[in-house]
Amino acid sequence: MFETVIGLEVHVQLNTETKIFCSCPTSFAAEQNSNTCPTCLALPGALPVLNLEAVKKAMNFGYAVKAEVNKRSIFNRKSYFYPDSPMAYQISQFDIPIVGKGALTIDFDDGSSKEIGITRAHLEADAGKNIHDGNISKVDLNRSGTPLLEIVSNPDMRSADEAVRYLKKLHSIVRYLDISDANMQEGSFRCDVNISIRPKGQEEFGTRVEIKNINSFKFVSAAIAYEVQRQTEAYEDGVYKQEVYQETRLWDVAKNITKSMRSKEDSADYRYFPDPDLRPVLTTDDMMREAQHIPELPDEKVARYIDELGIKRYDALVITAYKELSCYFEETISHGVAPKIAVTWITSELLGRLNKAGLSIENSPVDSATLGDLLVRVSDDTISGKGAKEALDYMFENKDRDIDVIIEKLDLVQMSDDGTILAIIDEILASNKDKVEEYRAGKEKLFGFFVGQTMKASRGSANPSKVNMLLKQRLS
Amino acid sequence: MHIDHTILEKLEKLSHLQVAESKKTEIIKQLSEIVNYIENLNELDTDHLDASFSTLEGGTPMRDDIVATSPKVGKNILSHAPRHEDGFFVVPAIIE
Repeated sequence: MFETVIGLEVHVQLNTETKIFCSCPTSFAAEQNSNTCPTCLALPGALPVLNLEAVKKAMNFGYAVKAEVNKRSIFNRKSYFYPDSPMAYQISQFDIPIVGKGALTIDFDDGSSKEIGITRAHLEADAGKNIHDGNISKVDLNRSGTPLLEIVSNPDMRSADEAVRYLKKLHSIVRYLDISDANMQEGSFRCDVNISIRPKGQEEFGTRVEIKNINSFKFVSAAIAYEVQRQTEAYEDGVYKQEVYQETRLWDVAKNITKSMRSKEDSADYRYFPDPDLRPVLTTDDMMREAQHIPELPDEKVARYIDELGIKRYDALVITAYKELSCYFEETISHGVAPKIAVTWITSELLGRLNKAGLSIENSPVDSATLGDLLVRVSDDTISGKGAKEALDYMFENKDRDIDVIIEKLDLVQMSDDGTILAIIDEILASNKDKVEEYRAGKEKLFGFFVGQTMKASRGSANPSKVNMLLKQRLS
Repeated sequence: MHIDHTILEKLEKLSHLQVAESKKTEIIKQLSEIVNYIENLNELDTDHLDASFSTLEGGTPMRDDIVATSPKVGKNILSHAPRHEDGFFVVPAIIE
């Protein structure tokens, strides 16, 4: 039996206005190479000047994962030759990163959890982009110099499931902190997987293979599964040494395999040395004070939802996984909807409809205020749950959002007046005297029949719980 | 630090240089002399000093996160590139 050992490196693009070492915008540019200047194009003599905001965002992350934030960190030059990096080196951090050891917790469905260590997080400049076109390559340096925070985990994960849970947790923390858009498709949250296997019980790690730039949680899972199988088979066939060596591999989306990209460089290959253009990064007390402002993070939200709002742990985890979803939920309950009711409606009814329509919570056609209004009408018995679902369906198709107008238009008002419902019940019971006798003689199943008849006679508008209660009274 | 054949092999790999078999012993001797010469520095007592790489005091200056652009500069630089096309720098094909 083998054990899988996984460590992750995540590159998070920080959402600053400007690049890390120059004042060029980081925003999307319609034209290639238009967000550039002598610094990010590496003209001789141009000097880097560090972006204060990028440092604060990195520190903010550090405090959020309870890490040591170094008061003094160093920028190094990491030399490599590639056209997307005109300096022929990347400015990164090596010996002393801005963020040291920290940790985050991943949660499992069975209620258990596990702490995953964070080795470090360091600041660095992103490279540009190459477009390969026949016998030439085109270089766009708009992205060159965009601030990245590289977050390195300890090799603490033992399965693809744990790796994905770590990534999702990290993703949500970064989003809650609002230090990155963390959009995987657009490359602002990129993941490298370090993976090895070892016989169960063996202390030392196996040979580690790095899989680069995987851009979805699904692919992370698939790439790990493939690589575990490849390495295990090599071990079992006695060719582990020949086939598993330290290298960088790529995930081939079309073929569902990992394939060799290059043998892994030794860190000596990068000739790291302190960048003489940049003195040490010294954090001030003011910066620390500001960076220590941490919003309520998913773990704390889960605890509060369970303890104060009485929500089930599983639901709390679902709601807090996305910042936008927890915002939506909190806004909905601020409209006076009971938290448990809001959770049920959001997780099953709303998310179900959004999924079907290919939408996400950010662009939900029904906003939290409108859902709040609707659910208040359910709670005060104006409409039934069934009626509310109809109203929801209606709003997914139509533009009007005045709940009371919609209720009237769809004729959803629920009959809750005892007298009116009793009148219907009495009529039903009078015309089914034989069944009433059978019921009273012990055929209790018939109760459902009476409920059905009453509902039918009210054309579905009677409040079901009232119908139940009043029928019980009449038949007892 | 002791220079041996293993270290020489690593240095060859890192520098992309090949040392002829006949010259290896001599090169190892020369490298050892250089390293030993540097070892002299170890005579200095640095225990009470922090590692540093600069004689300058203080930290690197930082700037506020405010955009400043001069699009002409980028365009000008591009126009001086040996080859450019549709706003891209053009380089020989890179095979990944």
